[in-house]
Amino acid sequence: MKRLWLAALVMIVLVGLVALGTFPARPVGAARPYEGQTIRAVVNAEYVKYSLSLIEKDLFDTLGVKIETEVIPLDAFVSKTLLEFNSGSSPWDLVMFGPSNMPDYGRHFEPLEPWVQKLKLDFFMDDIADVYKKLMLRWAGKIVSMPYDGDVHIMFWNKVAFERADNKRKFKAKHGYDLQPPKTWKQWDDMAEFFHGWGWDGSDSKLFGAGASYKPSGSGYSYHWWRARFFSYGGQYFDANMKPLINTAAALRALEEIVRTMPYYPPGVLLFESEEPKTMLIKGEVPMLYSWTSTGKRVGNPAESLIIGKAGFGLVPGAEIDGKLVHRPAMTPGRAMAVSKYSKKKEVTMKVLEFISLPDQSLKIVMDAKTIMDPWRVSHFRAEKFRKAFPGAGEYLDAIEKTFPHVVPDPVIPGADEYQRKLSFEITEALAKRKSPKDALDSAFAEWEKITERRGRDKQKALWGEKMAEMKSLGIEYHPDWAAKAK
Amino acid sequence: MAIAIERPRVAARRANRYRVWRRVGHLLTYLGLFASLVFFLGPFFWIVTTSLKGNEDFFAFPPVWIPAQPSLGHYGALFTRSSGARYFANSFVISSLSMLAALLVSLPTAYSIARWRFGGGLLSIFLLVLRMLPAIALIIPIYIMYKMFGLTNSYLGLVLVYTVVYIPFAVWLLVGFLRDFPVEIEEAAMIDGCSRLRALVQVVVPIIAPGLAVVALFAFIATWNEFLFAVVLTGIETKTMMVLVTSFTSGGTDMFYGEASASVVLGVLPAFAIAFMLQRYLVKGLALGGTKG
Repeated sequence: MKRLWLAALVMIVLVGLVALGTFPARPVGAARPYEGQTIRAVVNAEYVKYSLSLIEKDLFDTLGVKIETEVIPLDAFVSKTLLEFNSGSSPWDLVMFGPSNMPDYGRHFEPLEPWVQKLKLDFFMDDIADVYKKLMLRWAGKIVSMPYDGDVHIMFWNKVAFERADNKRKFKAKHGYDLQPPKTWKQWDDMAEFFHGWGWDGSDSKLFGAGASYKPSGSGYSYHWWRARFFSYGGQYFDANMKPLINTAAALRALEEIVRTMPYYPPGVLLFESEEPKTMLIKGEVPMLYSWTSTGKRVGNPAESLIIGKAGFGLVPGAEIDGKLVHRPAMTPGRAMAVSKYSKKKEVTMKVLEFISLPDQSLKIVMDAKTIMDPWRVSHFRAEKFRKAFPGAGEYLDAIEKTFPHVVPDPVIPGADEYQRKLSFEITEALAKRKSPKDALDSAFAEWEKITERRGRDKQKALWGEKMAEMKSLGIEYHPDWAAKAK
Repeated sequence: MAIAIERPRVAARRANRYRVWRRVGHLLTYLGLFASLVFFLGPFFWIVTTSLKGNEDFFAFPPVWIPAQPSLGHYGALFTRSSGARYFANSFVISSLSMLAALLVSLPTAYSIARWRFGGGLLSIFLLVLRMLPAIALIIPIYIMYKMFGLTNSYLGLVLVYTVVYIPFAVWLLVGFLRDFPVEIEEAAMIDGCSRLRALVQVVVPIIAPGLAVVALFAFIATWNEFLFAVVLTGIETKTMMVLVTSFTSGGTDMFYGEASASVVLGVLPAFAIAFMLQRYLVKGLALGGTKG
């Protein structure tokens, strides 16, 4: 009998050991609390879906949750998702959206704070860069979303173009000042003209002066490229009475300059979205470009870049006003994630939102060169892993942080997408020389007035008033005199 | 005498010159055709080869025209990570069902209009008016109706809307064929004991098969390529291939050039294959249709 007990005991121990070896140990109570649940997410491009795939294994191992992601193409995204939401329902639990459209989306999102208390969630709010914390998260005073993609414009340049002794000599002889990465729009235009049409890298190739995206698709590429000049010449979207200021002297000067310098950009620039000029930069075909920060990851990606270790990163040019440089790079449009208030799985979706926003998980997403997601947490900028990801990565991350105090947000009022697209369309009309800059901006003015009337002037004015105060707190105001004196 | 000798020489010179010019003409024609082929098929060739290239070859200089080690990896990624198989199957099922439904509904409608002027001429005009409405004008009301009836994100909903959209074209095309079809043949079949339905199915349909092929082909290709209804009325289960292609090719493809190209190839091939299979009927059908007044 004793032997039998002993044998049984040995068997139990053996089975236990085998079980321990087969199944990974997991702390009691932390075992996939939402095992078997699947939530639905909606995003606007395949690369965003891919970015979610980077954390899905950890998500499943930790919470037991799977994400089923629907991709709605960028150009149809806002219309389709708002159509669903405005019908009072949503097939999605987790919603990716552009924070510029927060006034249209916000009421369809679940406020986060009650869930933070209920589920003891930690979104590491102190670790979010101030600019995103201020401008990306709130609707009607409540936090309803978390950043997913920090989007600002910075400038990139090919050091070869700026450091070749021959180039420096020629430039100084022509323009009377030193060749160095441009700080003002005047310098940018001079350099675009100087570099265009010859082998500034020492080759016999006919290279281009600068890169840009002038297609009016998406939320309006040409508008994003125009607005950095417009704001540094003292522009603003509307006055306090909701009268558009997009055909003022600042607007006209900015547009006339980009129309005049069109010949120094690659052919086809009117059809360029975000990626074409980035590709030309990393292939050494354009010496300078200002664009979204994700460009830096492509610069450092050995699978495609020819300028690894040869790229510089810095502030988008500005204007010299009364001896002081004013930079106004675009903060646009960014991506954020929110939980649909129509979701039947709010609790698990909140947990997923917390998980994908964790410093270590979000770092995986923003570091990957195949996503266009950009860093937004302070810890992203400090992460050694990121700072050593490619030669110059530290400079790249520092340049993004240095840009934050200067950024100009989109017009974050209802219909933001519509306002931006109309303006972008008109800007491209002028760039294509189908209209004069003045006519194009006057047409955009009329279109903006129509949108405001249709959406209700008083309602728009009230919401714009809040945004205008927010922009004023960032130092962005209308200065009618700057257009004339900007150097 | 000199004149008599000169004449054949002149004739021979003329004949030679004619032959040379004819050859030059042929050469120029073929050169023109070759240039057109390169112009139209070049981009497609580039897309096909890009879908088979490794990531390092996308921007290689000099360009890699044909990859040294072609790989189906991007197709694999498309089918696994991007649910390509599901979208492909959805497109195939929805296009096939819409094609069948368009045929089933338009044939009796066209027959009744051709034989009995059903609707007194108004029906055919009404159908034409339906065709004139742009899809964008219909999308919001259709979406609201579908939402009420629970038809969004379903095969039925999509098949229904495509059938309604394609019926006018199908009916107008088939009415022409049926009006030209000799009614005496039908009557002879009925005298021999056929019912009207049997005469239609067994006598009329085989003869107007080219017309039906045109309708089928049109319905299939138009459904396969349709984007607006497909993006608005579908959900994750019913998305079609065109939506996948657009989600790769709009808003910056970034590092996914391979998958984007693979999605374009797969988006084009089925319509191409169906057109190729029905080509014989298509040419005949279009030629017959061309003689209708």
